[in-house]
Amino acid sequence: MKDIFTNPLIVKEMRERFRTRKTVWILALYLLVMGSLLLGFMYVLQLNELPMPGDNRELFVMTAVLQYALLCFIAPALAAGTISGERERQTLHVLMTTQLTPAQIVWSKLLTSLAFVFLLVVASLPLYSFVFLYGGISPKQLLLLMVFFAVNILFFGALGVFCSTWIKRTGVSTITAYGLAFFFVVGTGLLYVFLGLLLEELYPQQWLNDSVWGLTGLQILGELNPVLVMFELLGENLGPTFDEYFMTPWIFFTCCYVLLSVLLIWWSAFLLKPVRPGLRWK
Amino acid sequence: MIQTEHLSKRYGKLQALTDLNLNIDKGKVFGFIGPNGAGKSTTMLILSTLLTPSEGKAYVCGYDVVKEPKDVRQSLGYMPDFFGVYDNLKATEYLDFYAGAYNIPPAKRKSLIADLLELVNLSNKADAYVDSLSRGMKQRLGLARCLVHSPDVLILDEPASGLDPRARIEMREILKQLRRMNKTILISSHILPELAELCDEIGVIEKGKLIACGAVDDVSIRSRGISMMEVRTVFGAEKAERILRESRFVRQLDDKNSHFRIQFMGTEENKAELLQQLIAAGVGVVHFGDSRENLEDVFLAITEGVGN
Ligand SMILES: Nc1ncnc2c1ncn2[C@@H]1O[C@H](COP(=O)(O)OP(=O)(O)OP(=O)(O)O)[C@@H](O)[C@H]1O
Ligand SMILES: [Mg+2]
Repeated sequence: MKDIFTNPLIVKEMRERFRTRKTVWILALYLLVMGSLLLGFMYVLQLNELPMPGDNRELFVMTAVLQYALLCFIAPALAAGTISGERERQTLHVLMTTQLTPAQIVWSKLLTSLAFVFLLVVASLPLYSFVFLYGGISPKQLLLLMVFFAVNILFFGALGVFCSTWIKRTGVSTITAYGLAFFFVVGTGLLYVFLGLLLEELYPQQWLNDSVWGLTGLQILGELNPVLVMFELLGENLGPTFDEYFMTPWIFFTCCYVLLSVLLIWWSAFLLKPVRPGLRWK
Repeated sequence: MIQTEHLSKRYGKLQALTDLNLNIDKGKVFGFIGPNGAGKSTTMLILSTLLTPSEGKAYVCGYDVVKEPKDVRQSLGYMPDFFGVYDNLKATEYLDFYAGAYNIPPAKRKSLIADLLELVNLSNKADAYVDSLSRGMKQRLGLARCLVHSPDVLILDEPASGLDPRARIEMREILKQLRRMNKTILISSHILPELAELCDEIGVIEKGKLIACGAVDDVSIRSRGISMMEVRTVFGAEKAERILRESRFVRQLDDKNSHFRIQFMGTEENKAELLQQLIAAGVGVVHFGDSRENLEDVFLAITEGVGN
C-alpha cells in the first residue's frame, strides 16, 4: 500500500491526468448526465402519481442501471488508452528500459485509470440521497451495489488495459475493449436466454415448467451476466424465476470476475515484456 | 563494455542484422554509421533489452541482454531515435519521474536533477512544461533523462537528428563532456563528419552487415585505401587534368574549372608522388589535400554497391 504513494508511475499519471481540462469535463459531464436524467425521471414520476415515500424502488433501480450504463461506457475507454497511449506517444520504449517491471507498469496504469472511475462513482453518491428519499432500499443493498460496481470497474479496467497492451493503436484497442465488454454485459445474457429456450424447445418433456433454468450450467452462465446479477441484487427479477441458486449470484459473480481481472492483468504484463528468455518473439 | 557475438536479427523474412561482432572498450565512443534501414536502430534495441535477437549474444557491462535484462538496464541509458515526452509535466517532474523509475531515493533527486539540467544547459527551463520545449531542448532533456541513474554505457540513436547546426554543435559539446566523464558511448548517425570528431572508433554498417570497423582514420584510409582529395590550380589546368586522369591512383575525377575533386586510392607516399608529378609538369598547384567533406564521400564510396 505504501508503494502507491512512492510509485513514480502513479504519481506521474495522477499529475498528467488531473492537470488536463479533459478530466474536469468528464467529471462534470458525468454528473450532469446522471443528475439530469435522475431529476427528469423523478419529475415524470411525480406527474403520474403522488410521491409515496417508503416503497418506491423504481427510482433506485433506475439510478443503478443508469450508473452502470455510464460505467460500461467510461471504464473500458479510459483504460484502453493507457499502454497504447504510451506507445503512440513513443514513450513506452524508454519506460521499458527503466527498472519498472512490466507488471508494475500494468498495475499502476490500471490503478490510476480506476482511481478516476471511482472518483466518478463517489462524486455521484450524493445523487443517491434523492433516491433514499423515496426509500425502498436498505443500506446493505446500496453497499452491495457499490461492491458490484467496484468489481465491474476493476474488470472493465483490466479488459481495457489488456486490449491496450495487446493492440498497438488506441482507437482499435478502445473498440475491441467495447466489443468484449459488450459480450460480457449483453452477450452472456443473450446466450443464457437463448440456450435455455433452446433446451426447452428441444426437450419439452424433460424440462417442464421452466425447470430448465435450474440447470447448474445455465445458472453459471446467468450468474456471469452482470445485468442479471445486478437485478438480482436489487431484488428485481428479470425473466424466468428460479427457486434456488447453487450459489449467491453476486458472490459467484465477484469471485469469477475478480479472478478474470487478475488473469487479464497478468497476461497484459506478460505481453508487455519485450524480451522473454527462452521464447523467441518476432 | 559492449560486446556482441554473431548477433543476428530477422523480422520475418527480412534479415535486418547479420552476424554482428562488436567489442567496445570502457570509455570509448563508438560511432555507428550507415544508410537508412541498415540495422543501426535494431542493434541498439537489442542492446537496450527491447528486442530479442534471433541469434547470437550481446553483453553490456558483462551482463547478457537476454538473461539479465535488469542489470543491463541499470547500467545503460538508451535514447531512441524518436521519443515523446509526457504532457502536463514540468522538466523537473519529468526527470523526477525517471529518477523514481530507477529507484533513486527522493532525497537525492533534487540536486541530481539540477545537475543534469545544468549539464544539458536547460537550467532556465526547469519549470517549463516539457511539451512546450523545442525539438532541440527535448533532445537535450532526453539526454539528461538517459543520465539520471548515472549509467556507464550510453546508447544514443541519432541524437542530432532534426537539430539545426547550432543545436548539433551544442549536442556535440555535451557529448564531449560525457566522454570526459569516461562514459562508454554508442552513437549512431548517417552523417560521418558529425561522428568523426567525437568518436574513437566507427563502424560502418550496411544492409545488416558490418563492413568496416576501426579507428576513424583506419576506416577511411588504411582499411580501404580510399580518400577524397581536392586539387586547386591557378594555371595549367589542362595538364593537371591529363595527369590526374592517367594516374593509376585516381579512381574518379570531378572537374569544376581548375578545381578538382578526386577519389584517391593509395597511400600517403602515393599522394606525394602525385603532387611531385603535377609540379614537375609545371602545374600551378595552390591546394592539394584531403577534401573537407572527405568522410562523407568515403562513406559513400565504401557503401557503394555493397549487398547488391
Ligand atoms: N518492427 C519491425 N518489423 C519489421 N521490420 C523491421 C522492423 N524494424 C525494422 N525493420 C527493418 O529492419 C531493417 C533495419 O532497420 P533499422 O531501424 O535498424 O535501420 P536503421 O539503420 O536504424 O535506419 P535509419 O537510419 O533509417 O534509422 C530495415 O530494413 C527495416 O525495414
Ligand atoms: Mg534508426
